Amino acid sequence: MNRSLVVDVLFWCFAAGSVVTGYLVFRTDSMVRAAFWLLASFVGVGAILVLLAAEFLGVVLILMMAGEMLIMAVVMVMFMMNPAGLNPMFMVHQHRFAVAAGVVSFAGLSVVALTADFPDQPVDASVDATAELGFELLGDSMLVFQTAGVALLATMIGAIALASRNGRFGTSDEGSREPALEIEELESP
Amino acid sequence: MRAYLEPGAAVGAVAVAMAVGVYVVAVIDGTAGRLAGGTGRSDLGAVLLDPLRTVAVLATQRRRRTERPDAPGWALAPGLLGGLAATGLAVVPVGPGAAVADPSTGFVVFATAIAFVMIAVFLHGWSPNSLFPLIGAYRYGAQALSLQIPFLLAMLATALPAESLAVMDIVQAQEDLWNVVRQPLGLPIYLMVGIGVSFWGPLNLPDGADLVGGTSAEDAGTDRLAWELARAAMLFAIASMGAAAFLGGWWGPLLPGPAWMALKTLFLLVVMVGSRHLVARVRIEPFVVACWAVFIPLALVNIFVSGALLL
Amino acid sequence: MTLETVLVVAAALFAVGLYGAISQQSFVMLMMGLELMINGALLALIALWALSTGGNPQGQMLAIVFMTVMAIEMALGFALITNVYRVRRADITEKLRKLKG
Repeated sequence: MNRSLVVDVLFWCFAAGSVVTGYLVFRTDSMVRAAFWLLASFVGVGAILVLLAAEFLGVVLILMMAGEMLIMAVVMVMFMMNPAGLNPMFMVHQHRFAVAAGVVSFAGLSVVALTADFPDQPVDASVDATAELGFELLGDSMLVFQTAGVALLATMIGAIALASRNGRFGTSDEGSREPALEIEELESP
Repeated sequence: MRAYLEPGAAVGAVAVAMAVGVYVVAVIDGTAGRLAGGTGRSDLGAVLLDPLRTVAVLATQRRRRTERPDAPGWALAPGLLGGLAATGLAVVPVGPGAAVADPSTGFVVFATAIAFVMIAVFLHGWSPNSLFPLIGAYRYGAQALSLQIPFLLAMLATALPAESLAVMDIVQAQEDLWNVVRQPLGLPIYLMVGIGVSFWGPLNLPDGADLVGGTSAEDAGTDRLAWELARAAMLFAIASMGAAAFLGGWWGPLLPGPAWMALKTLFLLVVMVGSRHLVARVRIEPFVVACWAVFIPLALVNIFVSGALLL
Repeated sequence: MTLETVLVVAAALFAVGLYGAISQQSFVMLMMGLELMINGALLALIALWALSTGGNPQGQMLAIVFMTVMAIEMALGFALITNVYRVRRADITEKLRKLKG
């Protein structure tokens, strides 16, 4: 079989799959199912990235999302009603506006995609994109890479500080608030 | 990607490897159980036939249905786990230039398969809509999320001497010195993670007896058969990757490369399967704390040391 | 698989994500919408990298930055959800009429 035909067929399967599963995320009646559909959508996009020669990025995207979806399912069950996530639910607001926004953004972006004149320079098949990315990460773009690392470290610290139960003024579920500046004994007789 | 086989031959090779691996896991498990417990007939015939007898019993047993399960998810979970084991096996080379697939990101593909095991096990526990499987699924979530980072760091250290993420290059770089000598912390962490990811032996908390079988509490008949086969296949994939990444793969004196690969995989399988009969089960809270507070720093030390040795 | 088709697929993912982010009441579902939007942007970026810029490595670098943004969004989002739930017992957007503590 011809290689470009195989790539085309695979591309259309993954493209249709990722858009349809992405839509099902918001139509399904259970949060755990929604997380699984979102994961399926990400796997489709990751596969398209591999087809587009960005092998490392595609596989890493799938790797990242597997862990993330599991965390998402656990968080849902921690905080939402309906712990096992198997009962029906449908919770939306401003539905018509949302549909309109989605349709308009799709139409606008598609028009740009179809009418804009992008240069046609496909990536050279002999290039090892994984190795190139490695040299870029630890070469010219070292500063960007380090900045991303520091941003992630700051995020970790910030997320722990936000999610920690023990705040500066007591536990957060008792409404961790700063005490008032006035001395209360003077106000109340 | 460099492919070495026609698609049909590749699928066949992986399927044969998985079937042999699953059978070997069952035989080792039966032998270890007999040696440790000293029960039952222990002649060679019984050891070799027992797995087949178990398969026959499970294949004819009646399946069980629960109230309003997520039927597609329940049916998909063992298939997904088996497919992940096949993906993992496909990137493991058995000899110089002999692998089903050797993508330039082979190490990441294997790590992705391991990360996806979390999804398969969670799906398996969640979909029957039943209490004990769901508790097992959450236990596995806690256990597997804590295992991911030590696993990635321990594996990443093996890519340093190879200066490549392709598994073929990782094995090639161990010609003079195996990674188990170069990075002594790597293999123990990898084995601990391997046992935990395939929830076997001391880390069998998601399917533990205290949960009446955990995620597979509602499985009977062919459902249970498929799940057990997929679990054993995953264990086999992890052992063969350990042999390739830490024990020097096909390198060794006298014997041909694939034979060394098979022997090393067998050795790791004996260690991992034997742990089920010899090591006491670990409680989950201290284990999760140990993962974050002990194994991640140890794996980082491992990376720093191997990086410093290379400079 | 041409540049235009991949970009249209990316636009569709972005639009679905936008619909979800605007319409969903639950915080977690709202974040799923945001994730889909970033995902569409990532796909468009890689399509332009692979088919229009001849594989300039800085394009992949930008994609790594996108993924970092994704991870930061998720981590801070979950932390905020945890905190909001503790303080307000709220799990949907309607319960947060004011944002001040």
